[in-house]
Amino acid sequence: MTAMQWVFSFLKKYRKRLIFAMFLATITAVTAIINPHISGTVVDDVIMNGNHKILPKLVLIMVLSTLIRTTIRFWFVMIFETTSQKMLFTMRDYVYRKFMRQDFNFYNTNRTGDLMSRQTGDMEAIRHFVAYVIYSVYENVLLFVVALVMIFIVEYRLALCMIAVMPLTIYVTYKQLISVKPAFHNIRQHFSSLNTFVQENVSGNRVVKAFAKEDYEIAKFNRENDGFRDAELNASRIWMKYVPVFEFLANALTVILYLVGGIMVVTGSMSLGKLVQVSGYLWMLNLPLRQAGWLANDYQRFVTSAEKVYSTISIEPTITDPEDAIVRERFKGDIEFSKVSYNIGEERILKDISFKVHAGQTIGIIGSTGSGKTTLMNLLCRFYDVSSGEITLDGINVKNIELYSLRDNIGIAMQDVFLFSDTIEGNIAFGRPDCSMEEVIAAAKVANAHDFILQMPEGYDTIIGERGVGLSGGQKQRISLARALLKNPSIIVLDDTTSAVDMETETLIQEELTKTIGKHTVFVIAHRISSIKDADQILVVEDGKIVESGNHDSLLARKGYYHRVFHHQYGDFDQYTILQKEMGV
Amino acid sequence: MARNKYDIDETLQTEFNISHIRRLARYIKPYRKDMAMVIILMTLASALGMLTPRILMDILDVYIPNGDIKGIVFISLVLLVICLIISVILRMKISVTSRLGQNMIHTIRSDIFEHLQELPFSYYDDKPHGKIQVRVVNYVNSLSDLLSNGIVNTITDLFSLIFIVAFMLSINVKLSIICLMGLPLLMILVFIIKKKQRVAWQRLSNKSSNLNAYIAESISGIRVTQSFTREKENIRIFNDLSGEYKSSWMKAVTLNFLLWPAINNISTWTTAAVYVIGIAWLNQGMAGISVGVLAAMSGYIGRFWQPVNTLAGFYNSLLTAISYMERIFETIDEPVLVKDKEDAYDMPPIIGAVEFKDVSFSYEDGIPILNNISFKVKPGDTIAIVGPTGAGKTTIINLISRFYNLDSGVITIDDVDISDVTIKSLRTQMGVMLQDSFIFSGTIMDNIRYGNMEAEDEKVIEAAKTVRAHDFIEGLENGYDTEVNERGTRLSVGQRQLISFARALLADPKILILDEATSSIDTETEILLQEGLKRLLKDRTSFIIAHRLSTIKNATCILYVDEGSIIEMGTHDELIEKKGLYHELYQSQYQFLA
Repeated sequence: MTAMQWVFSFLKKYRKRLIFAMFLATITAVTAIINPHISGTVVDDVIMNGNHKILPKLVLIMVLSTLIRTTIRFWFVMIFETTSQKMLFTMRDYVYRKFMRQDFNFYNTNRTGDLMSRQTGDMEAIRHFVAYVIYSVYENVLLFVVALVMIFIVEYRLALCMIAVMPLTIYVTYKQLISVKPAFHNIRQHFSSLNTFVQENVSGNRVVKAFAKEDYEIAKFNRENDGFRDAELNASRIWMKYVPVFEFLANALTVILYLVGGIMVVTGSMSLGKLVQVSGYLWMLNLPLRQAGWLANDYQRFVTSAEKVYSTISIEPTITDPEDAIVRERFKGDIEFSKVSYNIGEERILKDISFKVHAGQTIGIIGSTGSGKTTLMNLLCRFYDVSSGEITLDGINVKNIELYSLRDNIGIAMQDVFLFSDTIEGNIAFGRPDCSMEEVIAAAKVANAHDFILQMPEGYDTIIGERGVGLSGGQKQRISLARALLKNPSIIVLDDTTSAVDMETETLIQEELTKTIGKHTVFVIAHRISSIKDADQILVVEDGKIVESGNHDSLLARKGYYHRVFHHQYGDFDQYTILQKEMGV
Repeated sequence: MARNKYDIDETLQTEFNISHIRRLARYIKPYRKDMAMVIILMTLASALGMLTPRILMDILDVYIPNGDIKGIVFISLVLLVICLIISVILRMKISVTSRLGQNMIHTIRSDIFEHLQELPFSYYDDKPHGKIQVRVVNYVNSLSDLLSNGIVNTITDLFSLIFIVAFMLSINVKLSIICLMGLPLLMILVFIIKKKQRVAWQRLSNKSSNLNAYIAESISGIRVTQSFTREKENIRIFNDLSGEYKSSWMKAVTLNFLLWPAINNISTWTTAAVYVIGIAWLNQGMAGISVGVLAAMSGYIGRFWQPVNTLAGFYNSLLTAISYMERIFETIDEPVLVKDKEDAYDMPPIIGAVEFKDVSFSYEDGIPILNNISFKVKPGDTIAIVGPTGAGKTTIINLISRFYNLDSGVITIDDVDISDVTIKSLRTQMGVMLQDSFIFSGTIMDNIRYGNMEAEDEKVIEAAKTVRAHDFIEGLENGYDTEVNERGTRLSVGQRQLISFARALLADPKILILDEATSSIDTETEILLQEGLKRLLKDRTSFIIAHRLSTIKNATCILYVDEGSIIEMGTHDELIEKKGLYHELYQSQYQFLA
């Protein structure tokens, strides 16, 4: 399927309406001839020849025909407009759904600003085409053809002379279409790029200010801004070559008519009356020619955007539901990784990971930055697929489970906390929008967020900024934790969830979480020993491999990585107990 | 102003008014010569256009009856030349108007962007980012046609309108008045729908802003959405917003579409009136009415309504543009609260003595965040700030960089009041590592270099080595040239923190501020990192907010902050001995071992 076919597939539903609208457009194009004709008759017959009797009739026809014509025109223009909006709505929905289905890899390679442009600027170009360009082209072609036919009937030789400019017109149109296309492509590129830049600047405004890089950002912005302007100017330089040519061709038609027609009249091969009559149709030839350049522009603008949108939505997600996907309301939570490896290109992120978790257990994962801890969880949720090996949930390969069922059973508090510009309540209830206020509060209490939320100006109704700005790191983490808990999933993943929370609060949260022990399988990824100490099983991940595993005591006894970390964090523990003894505590 | 979210329409501070027009005129001013030239040329072109019918009349009335073929050929050539001239003028017009339009848009966009750079954090915190973005990109774009073709065409049309009216009046005043009677009728209609149009377009601009904000958030938050299997709900919300956009579009555009049939009908009525009354007067033998006068009049009536039609089109697009313009100007007018004093001077090279004297601060009136904070720091000291979440820790360090103005009190660095110096000179000497480490799309090299644009590659690598980021960077497919995404989605949070750490170090700051900068970095790396830092920060003052007490223990001074006040202050040992809140906090981390 080509981009064009794709766009037109959205219009199929409206084919009958559009054909009807075209029919109305035909009426207005054909009746366009009435009023100029009446004006001509008024001047020639009524004023010049003094035939006053027919005036009332003429005036009445004029007024009525205008009324009817404008009404019909309003009608079909509205049909096109409504259709374009309906189509736009469906198309936006389609693209949005596609975005929702795309996998993480897609979002790793496509910039936010670019994707936004697909839904905004590009959609606008498509809308304009459907709402305006289609009928304008049709109207103009029709007008042109009707005029030629009329002229042909009056005097075929003159019509042939007029047709002589046609090859030239077609050639120029063709040339323009070809040469303006890369220019529009360029404009779209720069638009996306500008959009992306502004989007990042706005999101990163804190960093910009912290580094006092406003001038640098402005300079960079000016380059983008220049680039966009130059792309626009570049395109205008192309069409300013062609548009005047169309204007010239339109005017040249008049000259041809009078030159050829004049000579024919003088030489006696045509009557003066016919020449006058033909010149009355001339504007119907001129108008379309004048429009041709601009319409060619609009068309190409549309094609470029349609191609952009189409190429974006043509990318198929690699992570999809398998055929005969297993759907289950609730999984128990037995998890097994067997010989799991994961590579990005040449880079080996995880190597031969195997471990087994029983439902209801708590698993602690610790290891150095970038060792692959989060990736383990991403594979479990099928945000990425394993390169080799397999992951099973309740003995079923996760690849055979319906994505929705799988993810619905896992509640994640992600390391990189993302909150939405919504109320706190809305954010906590994100996974279950229809849950009750009591449930939200209960989840917030477990996450130890209830108290600080109540202190906020409007409590749970306080709107928090995008990405949770306005909240401290610890507060954001606690909201994200409440959000994951509210889902009440069979598997909970806490990825570095309490790193920005102070110790006391963390202890409180842990006490709360212990109450539900056994109900969920819990993964805790952390750097603080305190967060994972009580886990049934602790995995130490280094460089994509599990290097140690066991519980707190057995790992301490091993005197390996875990022991080292423990000492770094609590090395002075002995010293501290001595101190306490000295002070008589 | 209250916080805004994707489905709340924004309020408008100032409605469009005459001062907006004046401001718009300021953007046009630099190009007034070009504009005048184009208008003159266009007027010339339309005058030449008006000449054509006369020449044609000559052909029909003179040359053909005389059988003068030579004359016909000659006059055709003249016409051809006129056509050429018109085409050349059109070309010039396109060239100039595109340049003007694009340049003006360029300037407006620069203005709004530059102003945005000066706006405080709170401006960005208050509304979805998509709503800010839509103003800079989409709204400004929608002015392009108005500012280029719109103005030139309007002025040209106004001129031709004046010409035509003058011609008409010179032929016959009474008939002209009949023709002009259509105008007030049109005005009344325009006036009646104007209010509705304004409301409709304002509504549309709000809806498009909402939609844009939601699209932006949907894309940025896709990971959360997918992991919470919220896709269906999102699609529902998106379709709600998209549907609102659709219906407000139809409402707005329908009103615009009404204008065209109105003009057409009114023009037909006046034309009919001129014919009927004209003929009647002719029959009555009224003075000044002749066959020739009527014929000439009928020719001009058609020409009179043509520019009126295009002027109405301009009026429509003006109304449309206004609803975007008022938003753009609103952003440009957003007050800059933190700015350089008029006599601000550059901060001399910082040695590192920092002092807070009775500093009080609140984000909103009546809700104090910090109360009378005072402390003093010697150059080279390391200050750790601890305390419960929401105590005001981040606020204290934000004030050192002067991200906000104080309510009362003074902050000095090396005995210089920081509000007396230029913000840029102050902030460039500080290295701030924020809670939220933001990574720009680009290479890792570029991201670290953000701290100091002039730094050579070696310096960048050195900084990366200091923060222990070098090894993992080298392990990536393209090393330092690996492209990372906005917010660095292919990096772990810990890795991102290391990169922004390197970025802060590369800035060679005199004062280093670390706000939970290492929370996601593993302990081993953190220790190595601190060793590297110790060497580097020997003579530099640093402020650290952290929850891992191992990070804090070695600080020269620890501030325990709660509810906006310093409750305890001293070294680790002193505070432990004091057995106060810090002691309690310290104990809590061992609690679980017991």
